Amino acid sequence: MTVVALPTAPPAPPIGRRLWNAVRLHVANPWPTLILPWFIFAAIFGLNLAIWQIISIAAGGTQNLDADAFDYNGGVTWVLFFLVAMAVQAMSLTFRFALGLGMTRRDYYVGTVAYLAGLAAMYAVGIAVLAQVERATDGWGLGGRFFAPWFLADLPAWQLWYLNAAVGLMLAMIGTVVATMWVRWKALGLYTFFGAFAVILVATGWSLTVSESWGSLGRYLTTHEPAAIVSWTLPVSLLCGLLGFAILRRATPRA
Amino acid sequence: MTAIVEVTDLTKRYGSLAAVDDASFVVREHAITGLLGRNGAGKTTLMQLITGQELATSGEIRLFGQHPLENAAVLSRTCFIKESQTYPDGFKGEHVLKVASWVFPHWDEQLARELVDEFRVPLDRRMKKLSRGQASAIGVVVGIASRAELTIFDEPYAGLDAVARQAFYDRLLADYAEHPRTIVMSTHLIDEVADLLEHVLVIDEGRLIIDAPAEELRGSATTIAGKHADVEAFSRGRDVLDADSLGAFASVTVAGLTPAERAAAAAAGLEVGPVSLQQLVIGRTRGTARQEVAS
Repeated sequence: MTVVALPTAPPAPPIGRRLWNAVRLHVANPWPTLILPWFIFAAIFGLNLAIWQIISIAAGGTQNLDADAFDYNGGVTWVLFFLVAMAVQAMSLTFRFALGLGMTRRDYYVGTVAYLAGLAAMYAVGIAVLAQVERATDGWGLGGRFFAPWFLADLPAWQLWYLNAAVGLMLAMIGTVVATMWVRWKALGLYTFFGAFAVILVATGWSLTVSESWGSLGRYLTTHEPAAIVSWTLPVSLLCGLLGFAILRRATPRA
Repeated sequence: MTAIVEVTDLTKRYGSLAAVDDASFVVREHAITGLLGRNGAGKTTLMQLITGQELATSGEIRLFGQHPLENAAVLSRTCFIKESQTYPDGFKGEHVLKVASWVFPHWDEQLARELVDEFRVPLDRRMKKLSRGQASAIGVVVGIASRAELTIFDEPYAGLDAVARQAFYDRLLADYAEHPRTIVMSTHLIDEVADLLEHVLVIDEGRLIIDAPAEELRGSATTIAGKHADVEAFSRGRDVLDADSLGAFASVTVAGLTPAERAAAAAAGLEVGPVSLQQLVIGRTRGTARQEVAS
């Protein structure tokens, strides 16, 4: 081979800029992740409000209903599963696009996890704020509990925020692991993930039963603050976050 | 010369299949290099290896003198446009251009807008709803307007009509003349790009079979046509790359003729003509695996 001169090593763009590019790649099109979910919130909430109205009219007024009639609601949980979907899309479709643009896997991954954490935090703020409105208006004038239902009804706003943000983050990180396994190992990766998931669930149930710990688990859950219980999601999120990176680090964007 | 890409003994295996088989070559700075070969020859794999998207089984790759894998310093100076690019769900052309303007340091927004007009690409429609040609045009716009120091096009024209393809070549060449950079173009429309190329790499079944300046290749082979017996007599003992016959007439592609030999063939009543790059590549990748021309 002929003797060739090597070009001088070029400097990389600053790390902050690279990570920021990975974050804003996800909001270049703000509609599906930042705007649309609020409309879905509005639609689900609107339907609940309408059902409460129907029931209260049929009962001849809210005074004729049990005090906890509208206390149980899971309408806001959809946003948690929406975070799973966002994570899955980010790691499959957007990952391939990012690599095509010359981003490194590391920059893309860190920026994307930051973005998913930001999404979880933002939607948790929205839920906490709307829960305050809900409380101030005595459940939208109907005694309804949508944004802070059931055992969350009297939770301080910051705890409500923390709970939604932490659970949302954990689900997003689990979604990240599923999606990175898909990107790296396709169907085999998914079988492995769900197989491992089932094994972990059954093993947990088994060990709780064998050690006769169900009672103490129940006591723990009922005697501790929701915020303290939810803190157990943080190590899970961290573990999934690290696992996702370990998997994506050597993934290739094959069609 | 400065090597922007330097590949040494590079192999990529998928199971028992060697998609890239022990390839070594350099891509020179500020030149347009064609990476030619048949479908499935290993062109895309090679380019994905160069840009750190695929992981090599063995061998060395240097981009701007550094390892490309996970190396932001060199990848940020690289733009890889491929036909099979997927886009995030719901992305429209305008989103693609916006992101491109963030990640490419030398992005020229005005040039991008001009190209969008020229290729008549709708920016307000989802990428998924675009025709193949329109989606390709977005890739072409990004590739040219990125002004990346190393720009790699992998069959960037899929679905583009002849007018748009010509516009692509013209705009690329014009911008390249003003802003010299290193361009690698993988294609199988060889005749169309033959005049653009300064250097040619031909890959066949994973192996690099030609690595030569385009100028040298253009003069490296000759077609000889005439009566069957005459052609056969002339080509006996020579390096025949390709042979064709039709009734009493025959034509052969012969490598490495001197001007005197060409004159002799003409004097013997044979028709002597130049061989296009495309014919040469076809001759060399149609089951034969000769190694000697222009090496």
